[in-house]
Amino acid sequence: MESGIATPVTAAEAGKREPAAEAAKPARGRARLSDSAAGRIGLPVAAGVLFIALWELQAFHRMLNLKVYQLPLPSAIARTMRDHFDILLSYAGYTLAEAVLGMLVGSAVGFLVALIATAWPRWGSGSLFIVASLNAVPIVALAPIMNLWFGSGMGSRIAVVAVTTMAAMAINAHKGMNMVDPLALDLMRSYAARKRQMFRYVRVAGSLPYVFTALKINTTASMIGAIVGEFFVSSRGLGYLLSNSIKVAKMPLGWSCIVMAAIVGILFYLVVERLEKMFIRWHPSQRS
Amino acid sequence: MKARVRWMPVLAWGAAILLVWELVSWYLLERAEVEMAQSRLPYVHRVLAAFGTYGGVLAKEGWITFTNAAWGFLAGAAAGALLAVLMSASRWMERLAFPYAVASQMVPILGLAPIVFGIVRNEDLARVLIAAYITFFPVALNMLRGLRSVPPASLELMRACAAGPWSVYRKLRLPASLPGLFSGLKIAAPLAVTGAILVELMGASRGIGVIMLRNLYYGPSHVYMFWSTVITGALLGILSYAIVSGIERIAAPWQPEFRSRGGDA
Repeated sequence: MESGIATPVTAAEAGKREPAAEAAKPARGRARLSDSAAGRIGLPVAAGVLFIALWELQAFHRMLNLKVYQLPLPSAIARTMRDHFDILLSYAGYTLAEAVLGMLVGSAVGFLVALIATAWPRWGSGSLFIVASLNAVPIVALAPIMNLWFGSGMGSRIAVVAVTTMAAMAINAHKGMNMVDPLALDLMRSYAARKRQMFRYVRVAGSLPYVFTALKINTTASMIGAIVGEFFVSSRGLGYLLSNSIKVAKMPLGWSCIVMAAIVGILFYLVVERLEKMFIRWHPSQRS
Repeated sequence: MKARVRWMPVLAWGAAILLVWELVSWYLLERAEVEMAQSRLPYVHRVLAAFGTYGGVLAKEGWITFTNAAWGFLAGAAAGALLAVLMSASRWMERLAFPYAVASQMVPILGLAPIVFGIVRNEDLARVLIAAYITFFPVALNMLRGLRSVPPASLELMRACAAGPWSVYRKLRLPASLPGLFSGLKIAAPLAVTGAILVELMGASRGIGVIMLRNLYYGPSHVYMFWSTVITGALLGILSYAIVSGIERIAAPWQPEFRSRGGDA
């Protein structure tokens, strides 16, 4: 089972990747221009600006035969965001709190499952399989059940997020704990290390890069889980505001929820990435 | 995860969970007398009975959801693969699209489901669109990673043989990208089903999500049916994953995790 979403490669890293393919290109001058700093940052920014400009000038509306009330203009969305900034901010905080708490619970349980599966492989690996098949259950099926169990408060969303983040952590951490260098295990054994110490110094430490990969996957998953959970029964949060504004056809407000969720999601991701840099500075993937 | 799962422990776990479920359900209903005990944790056998009674309806509605999700999934996968090839072939394209593809992985995409439904107002189209959109980026990113995973020595050999870009792609890059493509597809398949169900919850008229919501609102009398719809939704997600995994085994059988022995999975 693959470990979820691709670890994003930074633009600089991506540029360095392929010297061979680079040389094979016929149009070398153009390739070099796109490699310059202006090309690296300017090009995507320019594309983004162009996209928003076309949107604002209603090019998409004409192309797809849409009305402005169906697809609101960026200026209207920005205005709505400014007008409702306070409520958007407090709802974003609420949703983020659900996502973070749920992710912590889910990741902790997932890590524990991986530990058990590594310590007692014969029976423990079955639990890993069950956690992995939980992963295939759509969030939309989980959300109503969690509402029944934990009420309509924050608890039900935390539970939804915990279930959706558990599998990625369990699978990745299990992979990390079992991909350790056999020589390191032999060395520990020759030092008469206890099973406990073996886990502490070799397996858990060795699994950290995988744990952080899982955490990065889980940041996105947890935001999705929290928002989708709020679609169902909730009285606060970005997902609640989003689905409600769509139902009463307040499209700009719905879009500003999406924008807010995107910003919060990206910030959350960047924080976890920063933590990764702090904790596993020793790992080859972190070298520049 | 090892390809060979030992089935005994898995079955034992499954049986144990069902048993505990049944016991807790009985305890909640008969001893603790919790309010709405059956809604919270219904008897497994009653749910299975409902599953049998309404099997036809569940299969029909589930099929509608599944086919819509599948069409969107295919469209999204094709578009994602195309973007990956374009990004690997053209530096301009990569500069343009890559930052957005990465950023899209950090954004809660499923939040878009109600908005898409708000725009197109056609439930079939909305389901297909959201499934396609959800599939698009994971497939593009993972396939790009696969396309780039070609060993430089192989590329040099191809160049030494004066291979044109077309045959480099056909003989080297595309086969090398298959594992990446499939890991993207495996991520996306259950998500596509989830997206389709989400659209239905926003107010479609057909599909498994619709009867799920309807039975939830009917309350205690429809508990077992509600749980059956939940299980159907879960099964659809697992089914989509299993289908993609099965195709992967046929299309890219050389990967280490499919080896019966040796190698590391």
